[in-house]
Amino acid sequence: MSLCHSYMPNYFSIDDILSSQERVSCKIEVKLPGLGYLDVSSESPDLQSGTKLDLPHWLAYPMNSRTHPFVSIEVPKIYKEAYREILTADACAVALNKWSCYFYEFGIHLAQYEHSDCNLIQDLLLQAFKSRFRLVMDWAHNTGTDPTVGLQLPILERKLFLTGRKSRCLLISWLKEGGGSIETSEMVANHKKRKRAELEDENT
Amino acid sequence: MDPNEVEFLGEKQLVTIIPSFTFNQIHLISGSIGPFRAGLPTQVPIWLAVNLKQQQKCRIVGQEWMDAKLLIDVKDEEKTSKFFTKMPSDHYMDETLMLLGVAPEDIPQAEEIRTIVKDLWDIRMSKLRTSVDAFMKSDSAFAKLDHLTPMEINCIRPSLPHALDQRDRIQTCGSRPRDSQDTQRS
Amino acid sequence: MFGEKALELIKELERSAEGIPPFNDDGIRQVLEEMRILCQANFDDIENPTTDPPNYSSVRVRHMAISRNKRCILAYLYNRLQKIRQMRWEFGSILPPEIKSLLSEPEVQWFTSYSKALATYMRSIGDNYGLNLATDVTPPKSLYIEVRCLVDYGKLDLEDGEVIFLKKNSQYLLPRAECEGLVRQGVLQHVTS
Repeated sequence: MSLCHSYMPNYFSIDDILSSQERVSCKIEVKLPGLGYLDVSSESPDLQSGTKLDLPHWLAYPMNSRTHPFVSIEVPKIYKEAYREILTADACAVALNKWSCYFYEFGIHLAQYEHSDCNLIQDLLLQAFKSRFRLVMDWAHNTGTDPTVGLQLPILERKLFLTGRKSRCLLISWLKEGGGSIETSEMVANHKKRKRAELEDENT
Repeated sequence: MDPNEVEFLGEKQLVTIIPSFTFNQIHLISGSIGPFRAGLPTQVPIWLAVNLKQQQKCRIVGQEWMDAKLLIDVKDEEKTSKFFTKMPSDHYMDETLMLLGVAPEDIPQAEEIRTIVKDLWDIRMSKLRTSVDAFMKSDSAFAKLDHLTPMEINCIRPSLPHALDQRDRIQTCGSRPRDSQDTQRS
Repeated sequence: MFGEKALELIKELERSAEGIPPFNDDGIRQVLEEMRILCQANFDDIENPTTDPPNYSSVRVRHMAISRNKRCILAYLYNRLQKIRQMRWEFGSILPPEIKSLLSEPEVQWFTSYSKALATYMRSIGDNYGLNLATDVTPPKSLYIEVRCLVDYGKLDLEDGEVIFLKKNSQYLLPRAECEGLVRQGVLQHVTS
C-alpha cells in the first residue's frame, strides 16, 4: 500500500533480516565465559580465544565494534581478488545468484566493517550494479521471457526486474485493450487459485 | 501510476466533434461545454467525444496533427535527432489510441496514422532506454530530458527512481555511522 | 546458534509471499522462551560475576541475541499486519472463512478495528457527505458495464430498488458503481468486447 516502490531496508524488513543472517568467518579474540555451546566442536563451557567460527552478520558486526572488538573477521571470498576480477571482466556473464542470493545486500553490510578488504567492496558493488543494469532492464522489458528468470538474479536486482516487468505488462495490456476494465484483485485471484489447487489435490 | 491514469489525464484534451443533436450548454465542475447544434462543429473533451460517439450521437473530427504527411515528417525528425523532439501533442499516443479506436471511419488514413504513431513511439522508447542506461552508468545526480510526454515518462516509472535509490544505497554504504542494526531506531 | 527459531518465523513469511501462513503461535512461544533463558543467564552473570573484575562480554553477546529475537518477532507481527490491512482493500470488509482461520484472535480484532476506522473516515469526507474510497480503483469509462457471473451468488439489491438474481454464467448490464466491488472480489467478471 506504500507509494514508495523502492526497497529501503528498515527494522521490520524481511529481506534485511535474511541478508544479515549471511555468515562471516570470525576469530574470537577474547574469552567469552558461558558461551562454549556456540562452538559445536568444543567441550568447554567457555568460548576460548582463538576459536574460528562462522557467525551470522547480525552477531559478528556488533562483536567487531571499534572500541571493544571481541572478534576479528575475514571477508568472504566472493568479495575478494579472484572473484572481483571475474566481475570486472564481464559482470553480465556471471550468475550472481549462485555466488550469493544476497550479494548486494550482504556486500553493503560488509562494507561497514573496519577491515582493509572492505574498502574495496563498495566500488565492486557499484561497478557490478552499473554494468548489469542494462541486462536486468532488458529482461524486464522483454515480457516474452519466463518470469522465473528473475530467480537467477540476486535479491536487489530481482526486485528491480519484477517492478520493471510489472509496469511493462501494464503498458502492454493498455496498448492492446485500452483502459477501463476492472480486474479481480490480486489477493483474491491468488486465494481462488490456491483453493482450486487444494480441491484438486483432495480429489486425486 | 499506471497507463489508465495517464490516459485519464489525456482524456481532458479537447477534440472537435460534429454533433447530430441540439442541446444547450452543460455546466460541469471542470468547465462548460456546448451549446450543441446539429451539424455545427464544437470542441469537447475527449472523454465526452468518445461517449457520444459510442451512442452514435456525433462524428469525430481528427486532431489537426493527425495527418499522415505531417506525422511522417515528425517521425523523420525524431529519427535523425539525437535528442527528443517536441511532439504535436503531449498525449499523442493515448489520443491516437482512443480516437482511432472509437472512430476509425471518421478520421482519414486511420490505419496509416496508427502505424506511423506506433513507429514514432518505438523510436522514442528506444532512445529513452539508452538514455536511462547512460544515466545509470554515469555518476550524475540528475539528468534533463526535454519534450518527453507523460505516457513515456510513465514507462520508466517506477523502475528509474527505484534503480537510482539502489545505486545511491550502494554509493553511501561505506560511510554509514556504526551502530547495532538490530536495535530499533526511534 | 541463537535466533534459529526466530529466523524460521521470518522464512515462513518469505515463503508465502502471496498469501499469509497460519499464525505460528508455537513458534512465537519458543522464541520468547529463548529470550527468557538468555535474559535469565544475563541476570545471573550480573548478580554473581565469576571473575574479578567482572567480565560482561558474554552479557553483551547474549543481549545481541535477545535484540535479534525481538526484531524477528516484531517483524513477523508487523509484516502480517501489513498483509491483513491490504486484505481489507482487496477482499472487502468481510474476510472469507478460509482466510480468517489463518489469523490469530488479536489480528482478527485488529482487522475489525481497522475496517471500522476506515468506515468512519470514509463517512466523514466532504462534511459528512461520505465517499467510498474502495470504488473506482481504475478510472471509469462508462456508467454501465457488462458483467458475467462466475458463481451462483444469489440476490443483489440495486440502489433503485430493483432486485437481480445473479446466476453462474449469465451476463448482465449493471451500473458500474454497484458491481465494481463484486468484480474485484471475483464474483463477477467484467466483459470487455
